[in-house]
Amino acid sequence: MLSAFKSIPTHMDYKGQKLAEQIFQGVILVSAVIGFIYGFTIQQFGWTVYIMLAGFTISCLLTLPPWPMYRKNPLNWQPALPETSGETRDKPQENQKKKKHK
Amino acid sequence: MNTVLSRANSLFAFSLSVMAALTFGCFITTAFKDRSVPVDIQVSKVMIKNVDDFTGPRERSDLGFVTFDISANLQPIFDWNVKELFLYLTAEYSTKSNALNQVVLWDKIVLRGENTKLNMKDVKSKYFFFDDGNGLRANKNITLTLSWNVVPNAGILPLVMGSGHKSLAFPETYETAKSY
Repeated sequence: MLSAFKSIPTHMDYKGQKLAEQIFQGVILVSAVIGFIYGFTIQQFGWTVYIMLAGFTISCLLTLPPWPMYRKNPLNWQPALPETSGETRDKPQENQKKKKHK
Repeated sequence: MNTVLSRANSLFAFSLSVMAALTFGCFITTAFKDRSVPVDIQVSKVMIKNVDDFTGPRERSDLGFVTFDISANLQPIFDWNVKELFLYLTAEYSTKSNALNQVVLWDKIVLRGENTKLNMKDVKSKYFFFDDGNGLRANKNITLTLSWNVVPNAGILPLVMGSGHKSLAFPETYETAKSY
């Protein structure tokens, strides 16, 4: 069962990772500011924490799964070099694996 | 940030840092508030006895009995950084043998959300008003004050004295009848 989880692809490319980091930092900071102002207005710190937790959940949903928007700039791997017959058995398999990730 | 776990790690750590900054902000907005309110104390009955005291170094000590009324409005103290108040009533006086004596007679915990208008009548002391010796008899000046300890969500716990006190005098003779 664990191998089924491990085989789900969860990677993002580099620009996607940067976008994900900006998104979650932005969402959490915005929810923190909203929470602080709302909690101060009604004078209950519990609401500040609730709004922060809501922001945390939203950014989890937006950045943890590998959405397609994080895979728009995939890496360009070099094409495989022609080799002797012993290694051609390995290389085509690697090429196939990389093509599957795209 | 290539795997779910590393993204989850940085997300969680960032949230905790932001949460710590918010808590510090909550502390800063209330750190310099004045938490004193006016308090009204009245005393209805005062009595004194001279009894065996097994906790002190001498045979007999003075034991005072005070019945009092307290009223105060604690609403202005509560804000978003106050979790509860610990109130206590102190009797302060001086005797021939000791320059300063302070005895706590009664205390109460008031939580957030509970009734903040304090209006207690005919309250007997919770704790024994023992003197260290026999200095309560005919003592003309005992001062009763109500103070409280503010327990915050984040920050320091200040001890605040309410403004307003009551002076009372103990009688000249001991009560010998088994009353109270």
